[in-house]
Amino acid sequence: MHTSILGYVQGGAEGAMTVGSSVHLAREASFRKSLDRRLEEFRYYLHLFRKSPLGLLGLGIVIGFLVIAVIAPLLAPANPVDPYIIPKTFVTDPQPPGGQYVFGTGPFGTDIYYGVVWGTRISLRISITLVGISFILGIVIGGVSGYLGGPVESILMRLTDLFMSLPGLVLAMAVAAVLGRSIENLILALALVWWPSYARIMRGETLRVKNENFVEAARALGVSPRNIVFRHVVPNAIGPLLVVATMDLGTTVLVASALSFIGLGAQPGTAEWGLMISDGRNWILDGRWWTVTFPGLAIFLFVLGWNLLGDSIRDLLDPKLRR
Amino acid sequence: MASLLRYIVHRLVGTIPILFALTVVIFSLTRLIGDPASAYVTPQMGPAEIARIKEIYHFNDPIPVQYYYYLLGLLRGDWGFSRSQGVPVLEAIGAFLPATVELAFTAFVLSLFGGIALGTVSAVKRDRPIDHATRLFALGGYALPSFFLGLLFLYFFYTQLRWVGPGRLSDTVVLSQFPPAGTFRSYTGLLILDSILNWNGTVFLDALSHLILPSITLAAGYMALVARVTRSSMLDSLNREYVRTARAKGLDESSVIRRHARRNALIPVVTVAGVYLGGLIGYAVMVELVFLWPGLGRWGARAALTLDHAAILGFALVVGIVYILSNLIVDVAYAYLDPRIRAGRG
Repeated sequence: MHTSILGYVQGGAEGAMTVGSSVHLAREASFRKSLDRRLEEFRYYLHLFRKSPLGLLGLGIVIGFLVIAVIAPLLAPANPVDPYIIPKTFVTDPQPPGGQYVFGTGPFGTDIYYGVVWGTRISLRISITLVGISFILGIVIGGVSGYLGGPVESILMRLTDLFMSLPGLVLAMAVAAVLGRSIENLILALALVWWPSYARIMRGETLRVKNENFVEAARALGVSPRNIVFRHVVPNAIGPLLVVATMDLGTTVLVASALSFIGLGAQPGTAEWGLMISDGRNWILDGRWWTVTFPGLAIFLFVLGWNLLGDSIRDLLDPKLRR
Repeated sequence: MASLLRYIVHRLVGTIPILFALTVVIFSLTRLIGDPASAYVTPQMGPAEIARIKEIYHFNDPIPVQYYYYLLGLLRGDWGFSRSQGVPVLEAIGAFLPATVELAFTAFVLSLFGGIALGTVSAVKRDRPIDHATRLFALGGYALPSFFLGLLFLYFFYTQLRWVGPGRLSDTVVLSQFPPAGTFRSYTGLLILDSILNWNGTVFLDALSHLILPSITLAAGYMALVARVTRSSMLDSLNREYVRTARAKGLDESSVIRRHARRNALIPVVTVAGVYLGGLIGYAVMVELVFLWPGLGRWGARAALTLDHAAILGFALVVGIVYILSNLIVDVAYAYLDPRIRAGRG
C-alpha cells in the first residue's frame, strides 16, 4: 500500500505536466510493483505459518467445519419439514451410539449426529453475522472518531467506553430475554455489546495510520476525505481487527451457545449445539453421556479452530514475537 | 499518597455517569417489554389494583418523568417483585448474592495462580513441547464451554465416582447442622467463612468439597486467558535488558525468572485480570445452572425463562453494579501498585 501511494504521488506530479495517459501508466506500474511486493510478503507469511503446527491444526479444523456446513445435506439428509429442526423418532429414552444413529439419540429420539452436522450451519450463521455487524460498526465508529477527532471523537468514544464498562453477557441476557426467544434476537442482543471493542481497536489503529507519510501525501494531493479513509486509512488499519475477528468467529459461538443453553436463543428442537446440551443435561446424570458429549465437542472444536488460527496469525504479524 | 487519594476521588466521580448509563439501559429495557407495570403485578391482583399500580409508579407520565421515578424507586429499595421466587427482588438478591460471590471469588483466585504458573512455564520453555502443550491447554481451556465442562465433571465425579453432588451443601449436613436441629449461624452467607466463624468442621469440609468442582469449571476459561497474557508478557520481559543484566551478574536462572522477568511481566496480567474479574459473575450463570448452585445467576436464568421481568432487570442491575465496582477496586489497587498510572491520569 505504502509504495503504491508514493508511486501515485510521483505519477500525479508528472501527469499534471504531460497527458493523462502517463498518469495512468505510472499508476499501473506502481500498482503492479505493490502487488508483487504484497505477493512476496504473503509468501513469506505463508512460509512462517507453515512452521506453526498449532496454526495449521486450527486451519484444518476450520476448513473441516466449512466443508461440513457446505455438504450438510449429503452428510445427513435434510428434514423435509425444516432442515434446521432435528427429526424426532419419538423413542423417548436416549439410545447409545451405534447402528443407525452414529452419535446416539437424545431426548424424544432426536438424532444427535443430525444436530451436530446441521448445527455447523447455524453456528457459522451466528458467528459470521455477529462478527460482521461488530466489524462494520467498529470500522465506521472507530474510523470516523479516530480520523475526525474533536467533539465527534469524544462523544463516540465516551459511548464506546460506557458500553465497555457494562457487563456484556448479562446485558445481552436481559435484552434477549426481553425481546423473546429466537436466534435473530440473540444475535441482536450480542451485537449490542460486541461492537465496542472493535471500535476501540479501530480508533487506535486509525490514529496511528493517519499520521503516516502516505496519508499526508494523499491529503496534500487533495484526495477527498472519504477516499482517504476508505482507500488509505482503513486498509492499513484493519490488520489487528482481522485477528480479533478471526478469534471472535469462534468466541461468538461459545457465548451464543451459552445463552442458548440458558434457554435464550434457538427454539426447542433446533439443531443448535448449546440447546442440544441443555436438552441432554438431565440425562447425563443417568449415565447417558452421549447426549451432551457430541454437541459439546462440536462447540469445543469450532471455538478451538478459529482461536488457534487467529492466535497464529497474530504471532505472525507481531515482529516482537518473531525471532 | 495525596496523588493516590486524588486518583481515587477522580475514579469515583468517573463511576457515577457509568452507573447512570446502566440505569438508562435497564430503564429502556423496562419500556421495551411492553407494559412496565408487569414488573410489579402479582398473580393475585385484579384490574383495579393494576390501575392503582400504574398510578403509584407513574407509568402514565411522560418518559423522562417516569425515569425520574424509576431512579427514585431504585434508591428507596423498591426493585419490584420477583414472581418466579415469590419475594421482592431486593430480598432475592440478598439471599442469592453470597453464593455467587463465594463461587466467583474462589474461581478468580484459582485462575490467577494457575494461569500465571502455566504462562511462566510456557514462556520460559518457548517452542519446546511443553510450550506447545501449555498453549494447547490454554486455548483448549478457553474453547471448552463452561457448561459442557461442568456436565462432564458431574458425570465423572457424581454419577461415576459418587463423590459429591450438586448444590452448596449435602442434605444430611443441612439437616444435622442448621436450625432447627443444629446451631449453625449465618453471618455473611459465605459458607466457608461462616463455617470458620462457627468453628464447624463438618460444614466447612462439606461446603469446600461442593465448591471445588464449580469453581474449577468457572476458572478454566479464565485461567487460559491469564496463561496467554502471562506467556506473551513474559516473552517480552525475557528479552529485556534488565533480564540480560541479571543473567550477566551471574544470578541463577530461577531467580532471574521469578524476581526480575516475572515481576515486571505481571503488570499487564493484573490489568487483564482486573478487566475480566467482573465478567466472572456473569459467566457464573452457566456454572450455577449446571451445578444447581443457589446463586444470582440461576435465579436470573430462571427469571429470563419465566419472563419474570422485575427479576431479570434487578439481576442485570445488580450484576452491573458489582461489575462496575469491581473495576473500580481493581483500578485503585493497580494505581497503588504502579505510580505511573495515577501520575498519568490523575
